[in-house]
Amino acid sequence: MKEFKTYHPIVNLAYFVLVIGFSCVLMHPLCLTTSLVCGFAYSAVLKGKKTVKTNILFMLPMLIVMAAVNPAFNHEGVTIIAYLTNGNPLTLESILYGLAAAAMIAAVICWFSCFNEIMTSDKLIYLFGRIIPSLSQVLSMTLRFVPRFSAQLKTVANAQRCVGRDVSNGSIIQRARHGLAILSIMTTWALENAVDTADSMKARGFGLSGRTAFSIFKFDKRDMKALLCILILGVYVLAGKIFGGMYFRYFPSVRGAGFSIFGLSLFAAYLALCLCPIIIEVWEAAKWKALKSKI
Amino acid sequence: MLFVPAQGGEMEILMKKYKNKIIIAVVVAVVLTAVFWWGGDAPTLRGWNPEGAVGFGSGQGTEILDTSDTRESDAEVKLENPEGENGASEEEPHEEEKPEAESGGHMTAEEKIALAERMAQNSAEETKSGDSESGGSDVQDNTHDIDYSRANGMEINEETGEDIYKTEPVPEGQPVPVEPNEAEISDREMTCTLSIRCDTIFNHISWLDSEKRELLPEDGVIFPEQSVKFYDGESVFNLLVREMKRNRIHMEFESTPIYNSAYIEGIGNIYEFDCGELSGWMYSVNGWFPNYGCSRYRLNEGDRVEWVYTCDLGADVGGEYSARNGR
Repeated sequence: MKEFKTYHPIVNLAYFVLVIGFSCVLMHPLCLTTSLVCGFAYSAVLKGKKTVKTNILFMLPMLIVMAAVNPAFNHEGVTIIAYLTNGNPLTLESILYGLAAAAMIAAVICWFSCFNEIMTSDKLIYLFGRIIPSLSQVLSMTLRFVPRFSAQLKTVANAQRCVGRDVSNGSIIQRARHGLAILSIMTTWALENAVDTADSMKARGFGLSGRTAFSIFKFDKRDMKALLCILILGVYVLAGKIFGGMYFRYFPSVRGAGFSIFGLSLFAAYLALCLCPIIIEVWEAAKWKALKSKI
Repeated sequence: MLFVPAQGGEMEILMKKYKNKIIIAVVVAVVLTAVFWWGGDAPTLRGWNPEGAVGFGSGQGTEILDTSDTRESDAEVKLENPEGENGASEEEPHEEEKPEAESGGHMTAEEKIALAERMAQNSAEETKSGDSESGGSDVQDNTHDIDYSRANGMEINEETGEDIYKTEPVPEGQPVPVEPNEAEISDREMTCTLSIRCDTIFNHISWLDSEKRELLPEDGVIFPEQSVKFYDGESVFNLLVREMKRNRIHMEFESTPIYNSAYIEGIGNIYEFDCGELSGWMYSVNGWFPNYGCSRYRLNEGDRVEWVYTCDLGADVGGEYSARNGR
């Protein structure tokens, strides 16, 4: 189910840069819905059913809270629904804007969870290792840090438990002390580890000019096609945004660009862009089936 | 990075060594320039011109030092025309530079005041009011005002020359602030007049946020002058909130504890900063722009309350002095 992951890193990166960028910029409700639905669907496809549940549990409350908080602080808008107790108006526009902002954040979170799944640290190193070696190393070390840290934490905590110095032993003060001791151990370990890794990379000549790096990525015809598709769609949507085809404003009154073929084509292009990985998935599956039946 | 001192062709070696870095730096610089330009912060797009160009910047320098005089004269002009036909609206709308921060982003308070003074000076030169005598609100010579304000119950700090809510002494003859938390509101009905205008925007229509243009009433009057009821002890703010609610006119405020008053951010969806960096709502009672917030102005029978929108920190409506103390 991870066909898109096998594409060249540059294709993956172009896709995510465009999709996440557009998700942050396009405030048209149709764009937001497209982005949120596609992002959610894709993260479900990538990570399975279990994450769907946690996603919903986490995102629904956030959506509701954000939609509720915005009208409490923002009172702009021509449609006054009611008055708050302090005398400021509650406007329809501020509620809608709150919903839109919440949808945008949820969509971006979804897309980033997909990004993490697809753009593994080796891809990042491959892409940026030549241009900005130190930054890409820091990036990959950071990305790797969280799982490593939690694994090491488990080890240290177990070791401490064996000598009776875990957070589960003793009075509250003692527990706190033991916890702090573990934290100190972990911090030292993390710092030392980072220095070690950096030294080791330096010793191998990472980032020196003329040094080549092994990579298993090959930019072939398939990648070319996908990259072209993504870029054409992206440029089209961007042009549409610049020429006002996706114009939408929330204040002072809600108003969007009128219906037009151009506008419709823009939304279609945006939908196609968001659905790219899923389309690729379906396409490859169909291809596989077709090839299989021939044998 | 090791730096090896090179002998011959130093530049070439350096160029070769740091080629990537130079390219990255150039790319970053290009991107930043593009963003600066297209983001609307570039000089010509923003409407202001670089130093020495035509416009209000022409009289910079020494004249700035004695703006207090022109400020007075400006205020004088306004007091002579209590019809609301103030100096700024009599001028033909001419191409003025939109006041914006020179560095992009927002201006600091000091920059805004300096800019407003420059603009006021400019318009004062155009209207050419003859003699400029000192009004009652000169900052340097305000012992009268201090005595007057003290006698009326204002507690003015010796060092700062302000009360605890950062209000400078009230000019002699004007009412001193009444704290809203101490005000006693009775159920005795009284009447005063209230009007809300934003016609100064027509002088600077090109500055106005294009999304807001449709909200602008044709004559610039949001709430025509009319007699309204209030209860004895209420403040200008109480009156505004009630009337706006009753007439379903949008109004947003924010309470500012530091001035112990509400600050009116927008009326009729026309907000502060919608018409340039120096724009916002101000109020005057009987022609005077109080130097304290509207929650602290206690209404009296027959008062004439006007809310006006300024595009120039108060200079275009005649309330420049009070603008320095927050609106």
